[in-house]
Amino acid sequence: MDFYLTVALAIAVNTIAVLGTFILTGMNGMFSLGQGAFMGLGAYISAICVVNYHLPFALAILISIVISAGLAVLVGSATLRIRQDFFALATFGFGQAVIGLLTETVNVTGGAMGFSNIPHLTTPALAFISLAVAIALIWGFRRSHFRRDSLAIRSNELAAKVAGINVFKHKMTVYIISAAFAAYAGALMAFHTRYVEPAMYGWMTSVTWIIIVFFGGRDSLTGTVLGSFILLALPEILRFTSAWRILLYCIVILLIINLRPRGLFGNWELSLKSIFKFPKREKSVEAK
Amino acid sequence: MREQPVIIEIQNLTKRFGGLCAVYDFSGCLYKNQIVGIIGPNGAGKTTILNIISGIYPPTSGKVIYKGIDITGLEPHKINHIGIARTFQNIRLFEDLTVLETVMVGYSWRTTYNVLEALLSLPRVRSYEKESEEKSMHWLEMVGLQDQANVNAQSLPYGLQRRVEIARALASEPCVLLLDEPGAGLNQTEVHDLVNLIQKIYEDLSLSILIIDHRMDVIMRLCKWIYVQDFGKNIAQGTPEQIQQDPVVIKAYLGEEISNACN
Repeated sequence: MDFYLTVALAIAVNTIAVLGTFILTGMNGMFSLGQGAFMGLGAYISAICVVNYHLPFALAILISIVISAGLAVLVGSATLRIRQDFFALATFGFGQAVIGLLTETVNVTGGAMGFSNIPHLTTPALAFISLAVAIALIWGFRRSHFRRDSLAIRSNELAAKVAGINVFKHKMTVYIISAAFAAYAGALMAFHTRYVEPAMYGWMTSVTWIIIVFFGGRDSLTGTVLGSFILLALPEILRFTSAWRILLYCIVILLIINLRPRGLFGNWELSLKSIFKFPKREKSVEAK
Repeated sequence: MREQPVIIEIQNLTKRFGGLCAVYDFSGCLYKNQIVGIIGPNGAGKTTILNIISGIYPPTSGKVIYKGIDITGLEPHKINHIGIARTFQNIRLFEDLTVLETVMVGYSWRTTYNVLEALLSLPRVRSYEKESEEKSMHWLEMVGLQDQANVNAQSLPYGLQRRVEIARALASEPCVLLLDEPGAGLNQTEVHDLVNLIQKIYEDLSLSILIIDHRMDVIMRLCKWIYVQDFGKNIAQGTPEQIQQDPVVIKAYLGEEISNACN
């Protein structure tokens, strides 16, 4: 397959997982360091279903999402009531435990050697349509009361509770959605790279997604998607700088966080309305 | 006044934080369509009583009875659902939400659509959102903030932020409104307007209101019945006229030596 298309497909699939982190960490301020593990579960479960049990691709994906979401319910019931900083630590522990599990169950997963011979079933069309659907779903989420509840809880949890929001239920809903998104992305990725190994899904992956969300703008869906495209493409664009690549990558992120603390796009959203309104808003600023 | 049914009955409420007894054996009643006040100097345990009623923490002992049902220790959102709304002394608004959106948060738990319908942007979501937007606008009009609906709530002056909090509490469509020091941090004119607003809300919606303040002017103008707290203990209760003449209250407020000097 064409190199650029391969890269674009990987970026599109990873962006789906980033969208899960966007609603969890960006909108709700919950730092989960175990999101990568859900991607790993999605990848491994779907791959094992197809390779070892010869299940159809679609069913395998569905099973991997359902199991990951179910696990999110379990992990969530144990961690969502505790304070935000402990939530980050607990999810970190969960994530590393999953990596440990995938590494140790050698006869099923292949252990640290990885799991290979996965058929190539993720077509570019499937990846891009999936991303479009994922964006549409999050867009719908943001146009409902869930956006207000998220921002309210992020800003002042006590006031949100007193205003009648069942905070635990809300956080659980968001956690399940984000886990399902990560699992789906993992499944698509596994059938694209055709090979998976536990090390791909550690806490670094989760942190990368969080960085992308804050880079693009935690209050902007547009920002998150474009930020994801930029930051995931950057390592490829900077390939010519070889060893300096990591350094340049860090410099770009630090510049953005310092110069635009609310992210590259702040709370700006791409929409037909905002394009028409844009000149008007500038005028009113001038008037002041 | 006394013929009205009891809405909230507090029975022997005690709350200890470690060695500190914030509230000691407090009992009191809020009748339907009545404004009751709790006054007392700083640290008298007024806010603690409100926090216990609204479910923020459970009492060490004692009960809160609402419309005949024991609601002691229910979670805050459930207390809100059964019809008790509150405001905070140190205003707690939401960053990044406009005034209108802040008030709409009060309608979130009543939504009839579920998360799947929201994700799929089904038309039902839009129509429900429109409906709660209209209802929220109504509450904003009531507190006089209809022109600031699309302003970020935290950019408003302090006095108006307090009105946003009241509108958010009203959006829960409560039977009982708990106001925690609504006059705190406001100047004399703002306090005057606020008292008028509370009076208007009380008359228009026939609510039961429990109001806490250490400013006598606010309490005396609004309340029909007053509880006086000092160091966690109830030292007096009665009508505003009775309270103003109560020697124990004068002592608590002005200090022993001064009241002795007056004698």
